[in-house]
Amino acid sequence: MEGASYQRFPKVKIRELKDDYAKFELRETDASMANALRRVMIAEVPTIAIDLVEIEVNSSVLNDEFIAHRLGLIPLTSERAMSMRFSRDCDACDGDGQCEFCSVEFHLRAKCIGDQTLDVTSKDLYSSDHTVVPVDFSDSGAGYENPEDQRGITIVKLRKGQELRLRAIARKGIGKDHAKWSPAATVTFMYEPEIHINEEMMETLSLEEKTSVVESSPTKVFALNPQTHQVEVVDPEAYTYDDEVLKKVEAMGKPGLIEVYAKEDSFIFTVESTGAVKASQLVINAIEVLKQKLDAVRLLEDTVEADDQFGELGAHMRGG
Amino acid sequence: MEDSAKSHDNLQSAGGGGVVDKQFLTAPVKSAVDKFQLLPEFLKVRGLVKQHLESFNYFIRTEIKKIVRANNVVKSRYDPNVYIRYTDVWVGRPSEVVDGVTDTLTPQKCRLGDKTYAAPIFVNIEYCNGSDSRTMMKKEVVIGRMPIMLRSLSCVLHGKDEDELAKLGECPLDPGGYFVVKGNEKVILIQEQLSKNRIIIDSDKKGCVQASVMSSTAMTKSKTIIRMEKEKIYLILNAFTSKVPIMVVLKAMGMETDQEVVQMLGRDPQYASLLLPSIEDCATFGVYTQHQALDFLEKKRKKSMSRFGKDEGALGVLRDIFIPNIPVRENNFHLKCVYVVVMVRRMMDAILNEDAMDDKDYVGNKRLELSGQLLALLFEDLFKSMNDTIKMAVDKILSKASRSSRFDISQHILKDNITNGLERSLSTGNWDVSRFKMHRKGITQIVTRLSFIGAFGSMTKISPQFEKSRKVSGPRALQPSQWGMLCPCDTPEGEACGLVKNLALMTHVTTDEEEGPIISLCYCLGVEDLSLLSGEELHSPDSFLVILNGLILGKHRRPQLFANGMRKLRRAGKVGDFVSIYVHEKQRCVYIASDGGRVCRPLVIADKGVSRIKHHHMKELKDGVRNFDSFLRDGLLEYLDVNEENNALIALYEGEATSETTHIEIEPFTILGACAGLIPYPHHNQSPRNTYQCAMGKQAMGNIAHNQLTRMDTLIYLLVYPQRPLLTTRTIELVGYDKLGAGQNATVAVMSYSGYDIEDAIVMNKSSLDRGFGRCIVMKKMSAVYQKYDHVSDQIVSPRKSQHDPEKIQILDNDGLASPGEIIRHQDIYLQKDCPVDPKTKSHPSQAQYRTSRQTYKGAEGEPAVVDRVALCSDKKQNLIVKFMIRHTRRPEVGDKFSSRHGQKGVCGTIIQQEDFPFSERGICPDLIMNPHGFPSRMTVGKMIELLGSKAGVSCGKFHYGSAFGEPSGHADKVEDISETLVKHGFCYNGKDFLYSGITGTPLQAYIFMGPIYYQKLKHMVLDKMHARGMGPRQLITRQPTEGRSRNGGLRVGEMERDCLIAYGTSNLIYERLMISSDPFEVQVCRKCGLLGYINHQTKSRMCSACKNGDNISAMKLPYACKLLFQELQSMNIVPRLQLDDSG
Repeated sequence: MEGASYQRFPKVKIRELKDDYAKFELRETDASMANALRRVMIAEVPTIAIDLVEIEVNSSVLNDEFIAHRLGLIPLTSERAMSMRFSRDCDACDGDGQCEFCSVEFHLRAKCIGDQTLDVTSKDLYSSDHTVVPVDFSDSGAGYENPEDQRGITIVKLRKGQELRLRAIARKGIGKDHAKWSPAATVTFMYEPEIHINEEMMETLSLEEKTSVVESSPTKVFALNPQTHQVEVVDPEAYTYDDEVLKKVEAMGKPGLIEVYAKEDSFIFTVESTGAVKASQLVINAIEVLKQKLDAVRLLEDTVEADDQFGELGAHMRGG
Repeated sequence: MEDSAKSHDNLQSAGGGGVVDKQFLTAPVKSAVDKFQLLPEFLKVRGLVKQHLESFNYFIRTEIKKIVRANNVVKSRYDPNVYIRYTDVWVGRPSEVVDGVTDTLTPQKCRLGDKTYAAPIFVNIEYCNGSDSRTMMKKEVVIGRMPIMLRSLSCVLHGKDEDELAKLGECPLDPGGYFVVKGNEKVILIQEQLSKNRIIIDSDKKGCVQASVMSSTAMTKSKTIIRMEKEKIYLILNAFTSKVPIMVVLKAMGMETDQEVVQMLGRDPQYASLLLPSIEDCATFGVYTQHQALDFLEKKRKKSMSRFGKDEGALGVLRDIFIPNIPVRENNFHLKCVYVVVMVRRMMDAILNEDAMDDKDYVGNKRLELSGQLLALLFEDLFKSMNDTIKMAVDKILSKASRSSRFDISQHILKDNITNGLERSLSTGNWDVSRFKMHRKGITQIVTRLSFIGAFGSMTKISPQFEKSRKVSGPRALQPSQWGMLCPCDTPEGEACGLVKNLALMTHVTTDEEEGPIISLCYCLGVEDLSLLSGEELHSPDSFLVILNGLILGKHRRPQLFANGMRKLRRAGKVGDFVSIYVHEKQRCVYIASDGGRVCRPLVIADKGVSRIKHHHMKELKDGVRNFDSFLRDGLLEYLDVNEENNALIALYEGEATSETTHIEIEPFTILGACAGLIPYPHHNQSPRNTYQCAMGKQAMGNIAHNQLTRMDTLIYLLVYPQRPLLTTRTIELVGYDKLGAGQNATVAVMSYSGYDIEDAIVMNKSSLDRGFGRCIVMKKMSAVYQKYDHVSDQIVSPRKSQHDPEKIQILDNDGLASPGEIIRHQDIYLQKDCPVDPKTKSHPSQAQYRTSRQTYKGAEGEPAVVDRVALCSDKKQNLIVKFMIRHTRRPEVGDKFSSRHGQKGVCGTIIQQEDFPFSERGICPDLIMNPHGFPSRMTVGKMIELLGSKAGVSCGKFHYGSAFGEPSGHADKVEDISETLVKHGFCYNGKDFLYSGITGTPLQAYIFMGPIYYQKLKHMVLDKMHARGMGPRQLITRQPTEGRSRNGGLRVGEMERDCLIAYGTSNLIYERLMISSDPFEVQVCRKCGLLGYINHQTKSRMCSACKNGDNISAMKLPYACKLLFQELQSMNIVPRLQLDDSG
């Protein structure tokens, strides 16, 4: 473990922050770091999701497993998840996941009495813990003009006389075990592109040629300034590394007119949350989890247990 | 884009009648009228299985009456005054009689209750019990029960709307056209045959040219062959022991002079010279007069041909068995002579000119036999048999001198014969009609309910006439005449390839039509009656023969005028829509056909290349003023059969029509059938790929029908979240596949990943599977019977709690049946009942002895399933039947089979975490990864276009179309347009994306072709197939391990594996595999005589039974099968002796 120190101090600049959406820049680090963060967000940030369903009555058209599967996929608010215990290593209960430290109980009772079909939605789930409830999308203003229409996530539709009664237990888990525990809807990053326009060469182009260069990109990266008739980069991040502009420029016989480089140490992250955790919290939790993992690596660095956990990697770390 | 804009301009200028410029005139006119709307209308009136319904309706309405009318009197042999006369017959509504109460049947009731969906056949009878009693009448006598085709006129579902169908438990999208027999859905396959009553010229095995006619009339069926053998012409007929010279036959029919024959054959000396050897031959036999000829034939006649009661000698044979489709009135054989001469002439034409040979594979020479016709055959036979039994029973009674009870002939009508006969044939598929020498197997098939489209496939399937083993290429090849009638893609692979065919989307199969009016119309239009013509005039060069359904009516001097006249009458609705008029220039004949079983399809009529359908017609259709039939009535559309198509010049599009064009296609994609219609852009694929998809689409899981959850089929595969394809076709919408899909739109990345994707394997995203991709429900039916015996019966009992294996019976309810919703595991008991120890006991049920009988569930270990439903019903003998549906939800696992809609099947190679999957900067992560090596050799360009189209579809929010050949008519989106949409939404025009590796976070080296493709999950899943065993069951006689997964069998080291081991020299391994692990057995061998001895366990001594002592006995190990072989050999007097040596 000797040699030069690769320690760097990454910087984060938040561009946009909403409850379920975050866009930020991560600078002065490399791809492995960015990717580790992404992977942890998808697979290792814990949330709470329904894991056990006991069905009392189900006369709906969907069968028990079907409903259980749908229930599992409903995002539950999981701010508590970081502090909760996994039911498998909960010592307050004997691992059956029935205690308040590791589980939350839900009840659902719905029966259709009227002639109209009744939509059973996530709002019909009654939680034993007010901090762990199905995610409410109504306040996020996601295109629903009338909040009355928004009744949560549909679980099943009941017709007259059909009934659904069940008890469900939600547990803490991570996305690695099942996608229902993944708090991230979308986590992605891109290298920040650096676009250079050779102004001198550009001046040699006619107006028509300039427009064709501008239009060659499928996304709106370039624009023609109406006053100066100059090609300008309006939105470098819209560039999708599709090389279309470069091909165009090449075809025009002007290689080097436009050059694009990916900044190897600068990433633009987009994080969308399922609603289980706020997008900002998701990133923070991910860093926390990542830190814990690294701590675990550091602690186990030269123990034999490392072999159990890291396999060959453990031997590597011990310099094997 | 530019093109379409230009054509748009053209359209406008055409409308405005602006300045005519040359470019506009030469530019192809954009399909002026969108005729697509006709298709849904066609399917509304004709439906996809209309051919079956029409045929069945015809049988129920017309044919059954004809059959009964033809055999309407049953008369006693002894007393002609004792008789039954059937005055009327009709088929009622489907119903059953339970405890004397008539109850209407619905198809769903029958499916669930293992009943036959059948309706009573009623007759009105008039009967007389002897000369002393008066004639009596009886109305509505039931003679049997007729299975009813679903959605036919007699079916309760006929004319019902969606709501009513739902109330009856029926799926509104189900096409009908099948029967429900004992709870099974059976479809009568369409049978392909050579057409009857037509002259077919071909050559036999030796290369002799022959003319053959398969005659079929209401009375008889026979085959007549006229063959040229060694320059002489012979007649070959079953009624004669050997071939007969044709001149003798002609003389026997009254054509005594050779000149007459030659004249009738035609003036051309070529014909006369070909006939000369035959004439000379005839003279050598000394046959000159009709009388001599008849004597000659009489000698060759097979005796015992007295089926018609009276034997009328050779003349009778010539009249009734020799080409019986030509009627002979009052022994006037003129028509028959003419027919024979025409046959001979056509045969000679073929000798002189090879081209005149008929093609047996030509679709115009084929007839499709449908359910109505097949049922009619069966019914006729059963009806006649019933009449015979009535007659026999009556005769038996009448023959007795004294009768005690009052005799009533009407009491002898038995209804079981017809009911059982029909039911048996439908459920076994064996058509044994000895009266017509018909013994066919596999006529019916269970409707495949694996997928919705599979059910359609069963309904349009055509079963071949030949046996499948024949290695001939001719009948298997794609016939040009198949165009538009039979689907060019949909045929199975393997031995039935090309023989089993499927109907195309707009095909209609005709039913029989009355000939009388057509004959009189022909004479009105100037056909010269044949009976008024001399032989010389027959083939005069300025005239054409007019032939109706194989019967020569006469000749016409202006055939084209005549044909046009007939066609005009047809378009005006004066003759049936499906009558075809076909002028055959080469044979100088006008063929008119009105027989059943011809395939035909609708086409738009064009006058000098101008379509008769105009914009306003289509608008009227849209407004609901018109329907498909009114298009026919108004002469805008007509049906053409394969033969008449030869007289038509059909343009694909209106724009391509020239002044000679007579018809215009409605839509080109209708040449494909329902199964091939699911494929997007099939015209961009390599043709076998489409064929593969046609077979695979039937195995795809999805929604079966709207009533799928109430059905009790033996096996149901369902998808949990089926989707509608993003890239649809018009056919998909027409058949309703968009409502009952069988697949999911998966985001596919075409790239290599992990190495677990070689040989078409696909890599799947674990998170996608978690979220429900490819998740399926498998439901299996298990049933049990509570048998009733004479005095006792099986008993429902409450399971006793204190049993030795309480955990196995915990899912049982108080009635000893597993209750719905319970989780059932391998080896669980799902039914427990008490069976009487002695079923024949005569003691009271409460005193009888019972033993407990259980049924255990055998499923995959560690895979718990759920009891979905338990249904009780009673069978025919009123035994209680319990049916359990066991449901198992499965998520995809490694080894499960998937396929796209382009014949690209592959198994799941590995399942990988989402975070390891590549992702795009938009955050898109594929659901599955497909290896790009799947493309170059398969050439499924359609799949690539599907990906592009779907990608554009998801980004712009509208479904894109990919109908076959749809680009010109706007039923398929062009790649340019799709690319434009993609660019508009910020994607690359070529569908490729810039992806990052999910493992390292670095960009991938190449751009990845990624987008949604509709993927089907096929029914083949590892869970049902995987198998391995260590110790296990053995066969009884050989003591070797059993074979096959179902018997938990061993895995065989076959001869090839054995060869490898021998070559490798691993003798101990061979020894272990072939003996130790298989059937080792210790035997006692006598060293002296070499025979097997035995151990006497009482005296603990070893004995050789041949030597009668135990002196030289050695013990050795042998495979048990070897010992068995020795003993078997000994039993047939062969003595195998073992020679033992000391082991070194």
